[in-house]
Amino acid sequence: MNARTATRTAPTAGPLAGAVAAEWTKLWSVRSTWWTLLSAVLLSAAAAGQLAIYAANANTNDDPADDRGMVTLGSVVIDSLELTQYAVLAIGLLAVTAEFGADTLRTTLRCTPSRGRVLLAKAAVSGAVTFGAGLLLGGVGALVAGAVLGEWGDAPVGGTIRDVLASATYLALVGVLALGLGTVLRSAVLTVIVLLAVLMIVPLSLQEPGIAVLTRIADAFPGVAGGHFLAGDADPYPPVVGLLLLAGWAAAALVAGRAALRHRDA
Amino acid sequence: MITLRGLTKRFGPTTAVDDLTVDIAPGRVTGFLGPNGAGKSTTMRMVLGLDRPTAGRALVDGRPYRELRHPLHTVGALLDAGAIHPARSGRAHLLATARSNGIGRRRVDEVLALVGLDDRAAAKPGRTLSLGMGQRLGIAGALLGDPPVLLFDEPVNGLDPDGVRWIRQLTRSLAAQGRTVLVSSHLMSEMQQTADHLVVIGRGRLIADAPTSEVIAGGSAAASVRVRGPQPAGLATLARRLAGDGAVVEADGPHGLIVTGLTADRVGDLAYELGVALHELTPVAASLEQAFMALTDGSVEYAAAPAAPAGSPATHHRIEAR
Repeated sequence: MNARTATRTAPTAGPLAGAVAAEWTKLWSVRSTWWTLLSAVLLSAAAAGQLAIYAANANTNDDPADDRGMVTLGSVVIDSLELTQYAVLAIGLLAVTAEFGADTLRTTLRCTPSRGRVLLAKAAVSGAVTFGAGLLLGGVGALVAGAVLGEWGDAPVGGTIRDVLASATYLALVGVLALGLGTVLRSAVLTVIVLLAVLMIVPLSLQEPGIAVLTRIADAFPGVAGGHFLAGDADPYPPVVGLLLLAGWAAAALVAGRAALRHRDA
Repeated sequence: MITLRGLTKRFGPTTAVDDLTVDIAPGRVTGFLGPNGAGKSTTMRMVLGLDRPTAGRALVDGRPYRELRHPLHTVGALLDAGAIHPARSGRAHLLATARSNGIGRRRVDEVLALVGLDDRAAAKPGRTLSLGMGQRLGIAGALLGDPPVLLFDEPVNGLDPDGVRWIRQLTRSLAAQGRTVLVSSHLMSEMQQTADHLVVIGRGRLIADAPTSEVIAGGSAAASVRVRGPQPAGLATLARRLAGDGAVVEADGPHGLIVTGLTADRVGDLAYELGVALHELTPVAASLEQAFMALTDGSVEYAAAPAAPAGSPATHHRIEAR
């Protein structure tokens, strides 16, 4: 019996490339990834269809020719994200909480001892996959919305592409936010609860009373910031500020996750 | 080479590893022995950069694990056997592990063959793996990078006798290739057959760091010789003669003697002189178990109620010289 059947050669690729390849292999070797994507596609088609039906029904004018093109397909896609994001962010979330659950994080950290590198690789893979999924969902959502809206729908090519790209970017960043939070909190359920609070419940409660100061605070929350980025409106800040705020939340979550991994015993 | 210097780990008020200073040398199997809760796994986790030492250092080939860029090429470890995603196949698990360190797919097939997992077993999802298959998969993962340093935490757990023999041969051959091999176990009998050198800890403290034979010899008075013969009368004569020569002789049933203090050669010569027929003459090494008990006496976290001393069941009684 000879264990030394391979010649010992130094790997040519850098450790980050290796960590990314490992995360990629892990992601696609479990069926839950495929189920997540499939459910996200169905959910997004259903959500876009429903929103399109609402939009079409809300128009009481009997002659569509009067209000032709009053709803853009992109806006339907963006509105459907409120629901579909929770299916998609499971990819970022599970990339780390599944490792805590199955005790495989130790193996991962033995392969890649740099905690920052592990998280960066996970963020790169889940961010890229979530972005790709966002493009797919956006395409599906726009197709469904277009079919349902019919003449009420407006599909400017540039605007629709911009909206689909923006929603894919939004989903990728929220996925990374979920990854960072999951690393700190370790439990998938707890992370989803915190995400719901941060993306929706807390900012909604802050906006509810209509007090300017509270609304300003709500504007800084990732979901609201992402919403401003997606809507492309200039109030209360330009879309790019919304994007940067959301990206800042995702980055902060990653930094917190790295700190947790470094200081906790695995 | 694994170097521990003043390695200490505290969890709140509990000291799991207490100022451990030891070198694990290459080219031999080092047994890492201690009762459950002695701090073996914690020590291994610190060597692997998973737990942070409260004080002291753990180095692999002179470097802390966390500084290694492609650690699997330096250190392989079997730590949490069976720690695999329930839905991921063993092969995919190994493939991800391999890719993280730039190791190719061919090497995955090699180590799977080496540990005796065929294609069907490697394709099974993690949740269906038996304990033994999990151990083999973990060992395959440890060998992926062909590392000069190997750590095996309780490798024989859950293995059938064939698997146990296989582990024994594997660890020996890995050591013979000049690698550093550290095998932890609470099974003293297993270590006695596998390890060349022993590091014994109890309550996180170093108790012994010596060749296996020395640990065994140091723990009990001396090796003994087991004698069997068909004639009780002849054996009784032999027993008196042996006792007269300074040996301590115990009867082991009507047809047996246990002789301590003389070599098997000398016992055989005396039997020949006296014309006593013998059917068995076996040198019995003192067991590591006894040595271990003597060494760790007082350092077992949960001591059992005192039992009858090993090796002296009721049928034994001492035969005095007349």
